[in-house]
Amino acid sequence: MGYIIKLAFILGAFCVVAAFALGGVYESTKGKIAFEKEKVMQEALKGVLPEAKNIVKTTAPDGKVYYRGFATDDTQVPPVGYAIVAAGKGYSSTVQTLVGLTPGGVIKGMNVLYQLETPGLGTKAVEIKYGEKDPWFQRQFMSLAGDTVAVEKDGGKIQSITGATITSRAIASSIKQEVTWMRNQGIFSSAKK
Amino acid sequence: MERTLWQEFTKGMGSEIPIFRVVLGLCPTLAVTTSLVNGLGMGFAATFVLVCSNIIVSMIRNIVPSKIRIPIYIVVIATFVSITEMVMAAYTPDLYKALGIFVPLIVVNCIILGRAEAFAGKNGVIRSTLDGVGMGIGFTIVLCVVATIREMLGDGKLWGYPIMGQAYDPMLLMILPAGGFFVLGLLMGALKMKDLRAEAKKRESIIAR
Repeated sequence: MGYIIKLAFILGAFCVVAAFALGGVYESTKGKIAFEKEKVMQEALKGVLPEAKNIVKTTAPDGKVYYRGFATDDTQVPPVGYAIVAAGKGYSSTVQTLVGLTPGGVIKGMNVLYQLETPGLGTKAVEIKYGEKDPWFQRQFMSLAGDTVAVEKDGGKIQSITGATITSRAIASSIKQEVTWMRNQGIFSSAKK
Repeated sequence: MERTLWQEFTKGMGSEIPIFRVVLGLCPTLAVTTSLVNGLGMGFAATFVLVCSNIIVSMIRNIVPSKIRIPIYIVVIATFVSITEMVMAAYTPDLYKALGIFVPLIVVNCIILGRAEAFAGKNGVIRSTLDGVGMGIGFTIVLCVVATIREMLGDGKLWGYPIMGQAYDPMLLMILPAGGFFVLGLLMGALKMKDLRAEAKKRESIIAR
């Protein structure tokens, strides 16, 4: 009996030391990790809303977050664009896409923030072909009304990536869902395009 | 026969190279070797954890009761993996994003527990450090070789740059899990064949004498 307690005590002592070490590292890297995340987000927002000088994080009454972009510091005027993060279940990860929209809800920029899809198949969603500037898959979304995007198999205009229908569909349908939500909230100006 | 320190260091890259000779740690090998960048990143992360855990395990080997040595090794390894993960997220966010889920999976990399149990738990700090560094480099080499073959054949690229030319149609199979098994199997087979040939030659020369 005494021996078992001794073993438990030794194991517990090691765990305490490990816990303190982890706590220390967590505390010292916490700020830097949050800073990096915020930096990535800010750069992505600037990329999808190029004409907006001032991007304001906005929380809807139901707790959902979206972004409003303004041309100047004045936030009382109608925004020049909106952005929202759309997340859809892909093949091996939840694909998170940031979409930039015109005041009428038309897609004018997008950026896949996070994906861990199959290299060579699902990752083609972010592939930039040699000599080109933007990913060819995402280019298909430009100038479409955000709440109508769908892959061809679902009756839309987006051509799926060969061998990665699930990833393509995850991106298209998550965007459609989020932008439909924004439309239903009455965020967009009334004209559809 | 006692090994010299130099042999302790180089065995991980030759006679006891992980994966090929000591068939441990196959899971991360198959999973991350879809591109050279991932393979190299995983190799470095695993080497760091391996060296740290070898040092700590060899330092505490005399105070750890043998009955609970495995849970204690796991605590040590898991702690270093979590530290690596947080440091990578903070200072190399791009690499962290690329490796993603495979960083926490270093905990269950058998090479690390295997070295703790088979080597660091029985040897001194200096030898264990050299063993960890050698094994880590060996593991990284294997990852890079497999990743280079798979990325070139499966994606037509190397280090993210297209190298196979426009006309090359990538063999998708090679970057899918099955391609990992193929490449690994063929490489291990080739190595085994080389060994068998060398052995046969040795036997012949003995008979001839």
